[in-house]
Amino acid sequence: MNQNFRRNLFGSFLSFVLVIVVWQLIVSLGHVAPYVAPQPLDAWRSLTTHWSTLWPLVLGTIGETVVGFVVGATLGLGLGVVLAKRRFIQRVVYPILILTQAIPIIALAPPLVLVFGFNLAPKVIIVAWIVFFPVTVNVLDGLSHVDRDLLTLARSYGASPWRTFSAIELPASATNIFSGLKIGATYAVTGAIIGELAASSGSSLAIYQHAQSAQLNAAGVYATTILMTLIGIGWFGLIVLVEFFTTPWNRRQIARRAGQHI
Amino acid sequence: MEFDRFLHLDGVAKTFDLTEALRPTTLDIAEGSFVSVVGPSGCGKSTLFNVIAGLEQPTTGRVELSGVDVTGQAGHAGYMLQKDLLAPWRTVLGNITMGAHLTRGVTSEDEHRAAALAERYGLGKFLAHYPAALSGGMRQRVALMRTLMTSHQLLLLDEPFGALDAQTRFSMQEWLLQVWAEERRTVLFVTHDIDEAIFLSDRIVVLSDRPGTVVADLSVELPRPRRLATLTEPTFMETKRTILNLLHHEGESA
Repeated sequence: MNQNFRRNLFGSFLSFVLVIVVWQLIVSLGHVAPYVAPQPLDAWRSLTTHWSTLWPLVLGTIGETVVGFVVGATLGLGLGVVLAKRRFIQRVVYPILILTQAIPIIALAPPLVLVFGFNLAPKVIIVAWIVFFPVTVNVLDGLSHVDRDLLTLARSYGASPWRTFSAIELPASATNIFSGLKIGATYAVTGAIIGELAASSGSSLAIYQHAQSAQLNAAGVYATTILMTLIGIGWFGLIVLVEFFTTPWNRRQIARRAGQHI
Repeated sequence: MEFDRFLHLDGVAKTFDLTEALRPTTLDIAEGSFVSVVGPSGCGKSTLFNVIAGLEQPTTGRVELSGVDVTGQAGHAGYMLQKDLLAPWRTVLGNITMGAHLTRGVTSEDEHRAAALAERYGLGKFLAHYPAALSGGMRQRVALMRTLMTSHQLLLLDEPFGALDAQTRFSMQEWLLQVWAEERRTVLFVTHDIDEAIFLSDRIVVLSDRPGTVVADLSVELPRPRRLATLTEPTFMETKRTILNLLHHEGESA
């Protein structure tokens, strides 16, 4: 791949090392008891020894995150477009959107369990609930700020509303749309874990962590937190990759390729 | 044979709310000619332009193209502004074929035509580049190629070189004349630069201060092809003096 991308990857690796080093320093120099906070290596060991138990739980959380994200992002995109195109609907619906986000997300779980029971549905709904909002707001923002002259140009060609949308408005909003998706991606795991805490009957990553905490097994607690974080980072990274490949014009080194000719 | 009434404006006027932007204007443009519209800023040049492009409905009057009423209908003329309006997400090739992309989908024939156009006018090496990599002059060339790609006979250019520096501007004017000579289209060119208008045009329409109305319609008696030396010919100076006087007196009386 290209140079810039490799540099970013190297930066991420460096920040990862930094976090581990700081963690180790705090535990060693602060004489923190092992049942309060484990050393990084202990957390790693707990992770590897219990991998066979953790692996299916991780898959479960990934499943909830991905399904919830896809539902939320699709909803958010659709809603953002409708609100941008119909100002009246925007005036009516926007306050409701704010309302949905003002509800403490933890308080949302019990009523959902009452309706759907202990299964996938409440978790997916909670994830989608969190994800759709930043997507909607960013799509709306992007579509509202498309260069009006560019739209006039499209009109001068006699372009249909649909063509104008797909050829001008959507690509012009790409940066905003991806901002919304990236914010959504980081929140999605949080939603899935809250859902698991409130709506899991059997095993799940959140319940597992809860059990480790009850047993004062700090290594197990930290190991679970790391796994949850990694799922979030992985999902975020995937969105960044999709953005990288679908918006080549935003890559600086491509945009500047002709610099030498000018 | 040329058609003298290729574009025919019949008493076209435009009022925004209570402000009169353009007084009833009647104008005929011959097929294949290069006509400039000059006037003080805010004189309704752009309004006139948008009405001809069909982007705005005139308050009164008719716009006819080849004898067909096209009042208030967009999509019958190539249209280009001072802002190049290139789509940053499309390559040079993608921007030249933007018209097809916006109306029916780009065919491989469109791409061949676009590539040939870019090749002929010095952008052949840049087809795969994004606009961010181009200079202002190159961007305006791409914008003009995009306009040429529409097979419309009538091209409406609204101060297309207004944002360029003086040298780039002159080379763009020369280039436009070359393109015009080869493509044989009808050009209606809006500018507030009198030198530019004289250098390019067969005919210059002078508009008054707002509300705009035609105060003079001059033909430019300079031989083609026009070159750098054209700018210092006596006829050029004379025409310039005439237009300056018109605009100046217009300003005093207002």
